[in-house]
Amino acid sequence: MSLEKITNPFDARHWIGHMEAEYRYTLGIAGERFFKEIKENERIMGVKCPKCEVVFVPPRLYCEKCFAKLEEWVDVGKRGEVYTYTIATIDIDGKRLEKPQIYALIKFDGACGGLIHRIGETEKVYIGMKVEAVFKPPSERKASINDIAYFKPAE
Amino acid sequence: MFGKKRVAIVGAGVTLFRRNLKETGKELSYHAAKMALEQAGMELRDIQSVVMGTAPDAFDGVHMKGEYLADGAGAYHKPYTRVFVGGGTGVFAPLAGWWHVASGQFDTCLVVCEEKMSSCYPHPQYAFTTIFDPVLERPIGMNLIWIFALEMNRYMHKHNIKKEDIALVSVKNKRNALDNPIAQLAANITVEDVLNSEVMAWPVQRLDVSPTSDGAAAAVLVSEDVAKEVTDNPIWIDGVGWCIDSTQWTNRDLYYPDYVEYAARMAYKMAGIKNPPKEIDVAEPYDPFDYKELHHMEGLLLCKKGEAPKLTREGVTQRDGDLPTCPSGGLLGCGNPIAAAGMMKVCEIFWQLRGEAGKRQVPGDLRTGVAQAWGDLMQYGSVIVLRR
Ligand SMILES: [Zn+2]
Repeated sequence: MSLEKITNPFDARHWIGHMEAEYRYTLGIAGERFFKEIKENERIMGVKCPKCEVVFVPPRLYCEKCFAKLEEWVDVGKRGEVYTYTIATIDIDGKRLEKPQIYALIKFDGACGGLIHRIGETEKVYIGMKVEAVFKPPSERKASINDIAYFKPAE
Repeated sequence: MFGKKRVAIVGAGVTLFRRNLKETGKELSYHAAKMALEQAGMELRDIQSVVMGTAPDAFDGVHMKGEYLADGAGAYHKPYTRVFVGGGTGVFAPLAGWWHVASGQFDTCLVVCEEKMSSCYPHPQYAFTTIFDPVLERPIGMNLIWIFALEMNRYMHKHNIKKEDIALVSVKNKRNALDNPIAQLAANITVEDVLNSEVMAWPVQRLDVSPTSDGAAAAVLVSEDVAKEVTDNPIWIDGVGWCIDSTQWTNRDLYYPDYVEYAARMAYKMAGIKNPPKEIDVAEPYDPFDYKELHHMEGLLLCKKGEAPKLTREGVTQRDGDLPTCPSGGLLGCGNPIAAAGMMKVCEIFWQLRGEAGKRQVPGDLRTGVAQAWGDLMQYGSVIVLRR
């Protein structure tokens, strides 16, 4: 068999090509309302399945458990809890970040699911830490998850 | 028995796993398929159907990768299907092969899995950035290592597990790989080496992670009638299971893979396995990260929740232990060409049960083995039970 090890990938004869394509992703029916509430009202919303008695954050059009269409929107508040976290020290290319960045899965009281976001204004983080959303100034908001700048300690 | 016909594996083949191979994905597929056919003592004309397992198109950089790879898998003028369930593909592909034969539709099926991750440069991590929700997660700049770090941290927190104990998996699998001629990262390392390796995203460090790789693996599946003609030593597919959890990974517990348990229960029920730790002689749980082997041992019901680190520390999972896991060297030692890596685990169990694993052979009278893979966004479990 001719399989052999190459240490420099460019040693093998090759052709450089690209798979380029741009995309425009719609926010969706539930997503439009979720991000509008963040942008205009600084509110983090969930949606409740009356049958399963579960509040989903982020909200969605349907319940994945029973397939009901969901229409009961509830404000879950700006405060949540760090369910788990990571401290990233390298970027996607493997280069070292200038400053480590904390990312956490933040869960909200009584809700199923949560949001992945940055943790700011602190270098300390632990599982169970109470955190609160910090919103960008209204003029900078674009109805995006980044309208929340980060979550800060709320203790 | 489930299905119309009992299905056996009668031949397997795995190429070298390397960071960069000259061969194209088609050529890698051809090498693996040819080896599997040779071990089965069969030729391409004996094959009635072909299943290809291969992960995101973005790795090889060819859209419709299934169609592109088809001739290398021996599919010319044959019923052909590509299956894809992310990292779970490598064990899912032989499950798809199983239903081709178990349904009674075909007597033979060639299953081939391939990945050529080196095409995507400078690093295939790029191909992973588009697997996340485009609206909720990608704007945050999600990176695959981070989500595993989030999961690993939750697992450690829940059971109060030390990094030292998790590192033992990396030490074991890389050492097991020293006996595997295909291995990319075989090494004698220590727990300290793992703990001192570069932090990528706490708690994930460099030596907690398997590398990216090029490679292919294949197996020949046949009905009971054909098995009796071609071999005295068939290995039976006695259990199959697969399951997906919530696609919203934020909805899940993270410390325990329910979806692996559901897939395992499905496979064990079919195989009549009531006490997995007692009845399973050798296991290849999916180990792209060291903590994942532990996570998956628990999901496979090989031990209680949170107990896998203890078994590892006590040497139970070593090749000469009571429950050897990843005798192949796993993904941590052999490399991780996604779909091919899962299929390599199925091939390893096949060789172990046949007593053909050479220096890697687990001692004793092996009767039953299990292989498992895991994929999509940490929510897909695929499980296969093999028996001699
Ligand atoms: Zn419901």
